[in-house]
Amino acid sequence: MNYAIQLLLYFEIYLIVALSLNLLVGYLGLLSLAHAVFYGIGAYGYALLSIRLGLGFGLALLGAMALAALASLTISLCALRLKGDFFVLGSLAVQVIFFSIVQNWYDGTSAVGTWTNLTNGPFGVAGVPKPEVFSVPFVDPLAFLGLSTAVCGLAMLAVWRFTSGDWGRMLVAIRDDDLAARGLGKNVRLARVQVIAIAAALAAVAGSIYAAQVGFVDPSSASIDESILMLSMVLLGGSGNFRGPVVGAITLMALPEILRFLAFPDAQAANIRLAIYGFALILIVHFRPQGLAGNYRLS
Amino acid sequence: MQPLINGIVAGLGIALLAIAFQMVNLPARVFYIGLAGIYALAPYLYVAMQPIGAPWFVIVLVVACLTAALSAAFEAASHGPLQRSGASAGAHLIASLGMFVVVVQVIALVWGDQPRVLRTAPLGSFPFMGAIVTSSQLVILAAGCVVVGIFVTAMRMSRLALRLRALAENTLLLALFGYNISTVRLAAFAVAGFVAAVASLLAAYDKGFDPHTGINALLLAVVAVIVGGRMSFWGPILGGLIVGTVRHQVAWHFSAKWQDAATLALLAAFLLLRPEGVIGHRTRLEASAA
Repeated sequence: MNYAIQLLLYFEIYLIVALSLNLLVGYLGLLSLAHAVFYGIGAYGYALLSIRLGLGFGLALLGAMALAALASLTISLCALRLKGDFFVLGSLAVQVIFFSIVQNWYDGTSAVGTWTNLTNGPFGVAGVPKPEVFSVPFVDPLAFLGLSTAVCGLAMLAVWRFTSGDWGRMLVAIRDDDLAARGLGKNVRLARVQVIAIAAALAAVAGSIYAAQVGFVDPSSASIDESILMLSMVLLGGSGNFRGPVVGAITLMALPEILRFLAFPDAQAANIRLAIYGFALILIVHFRPQGLAGNYRLS
Repeated sequence: MQPLINGIVAGLGIALLAIAFQMVNLPARVFYIGLAGIYALAPYLYVAMQPIGAPWFVIVLVVACLTAALSAAFEAASHGPLQRSGASAGAHLIASLGMFVVVVQVIALVWGDQPRVLRTAPLGSFPFMGAIVTSSQLVILAAGCVVVGIFVTAMRMSRLALRLRALAENTLLLALFGYNISTVRLAAFAVAGFVAAVASLLAAYDKGFDPHTGINALLLAVVAVIVGGRMSFWGPILGGLIVGTVRHQVAWHFSAKWQDAATLALLAAFLLLRPEGVIGHRTRLEASAA
């Protein structure tokens, strides 16, 4: 039972991540390699706000989302000044700088979460409390799954609303021909900044759920490997619509479980899984540029 | 003096990989992340061949030829077909990312994730103008100067270099003159693989290696390309030296842990303020779009 609950929890976390990254890839045409940054900001933000300031689940979640939205300005700056490969490089730079900060903001003589030891470096932040909403604790795994499902549902609803209306169509127009969209009087720059901030805030939601569920956050949750994995998920599932990221998240969830049943040792399973993702990326680009269920063709 | 010497030596190593990257990026317009996988693979191939008992320079040559063949295989199997089907730069980048991920994971599966060193003997050191120079730094300095020298000479005198420059300028016109574009591209990928192996073996000799060293090294190389000038074959050499010097100044005056952040801050500054790089020059919008 607990196994199924854990699977569902991780599926929901990945689903939110995939839906948020799809806003950048599928609706703005931006291949970002820095999405784990916002996931990491969500995880660390939630952990530190709940531990140091004693904020409840809702406030800590909102705080983490606000921090991620603020940090998204770095990617917005890249998106406004750079295109194509150079945007990817800019996002990679943001990823490496953030990871370097998280890994090195450490001073063994100070308490965790203080100005001199904000992230506790490679040792991470432990003791993230289980959430409590209106004095109702969500300690039991099933109860936590209920809370996570509610948050995931809200995130899905938000993405649906953003992408299905006029605003979503404007984003598609910007992605396909930003000059034409600008010619029609659309504020392309503002739209880009807004979408990137929304995507970052949603990724922070996923990071917050992760931190609340595991109770521990370390730099690996904000690493370049995570960013590559997130991008692979969206590219494999497909982008530019709602079902593509869902398929991507299911694929991401299913593959490790299949490898588990094939009885690969845990240490090798992670490498095999990543190798399969890499190989799948190559195949997708060659044979199905829109992904398994997407409608935006990369080429 | 010490940070300057350290910076120049490190910069030469960065410049070598930057040359390899630019060898593909400029003529073939491929953002070649797969090169990071090749960079990671070279020291493992060297270690695998050591039991044969051949002299080190023979093993280095064989490893460089193998990585050149692998790089050419990437072009033949993936980038070439994508280019012929008119795929976007993004498609090339994702395919290259996929290749990088596969190579790194295969390395980790076969040889493990643990960091290793190529060196068997402890480093010697020599005083030089008030600074200390290690034997591995001397090796990098000598090998780096030789490779850069060969590169500069070849780019000025060889026919292949002329075709590569022509391919970078105008692919269609080169094809109209009757040259086989696929062959020129294949050669560019092979040369990139060869030079990347040399850069990788030098770095592995000095600092050690693990399966994940490639992406960080490539990132530095790309920064060097942008700092030096991304529309030039010579820019990466200058860019590599600048990046190496800045990194070691930061390590000397602040802390080594902020080297990466300082490097990427340098990149951000160039991308936002001088995207054409040190030796590039601004062009009109329509010219750069062509």
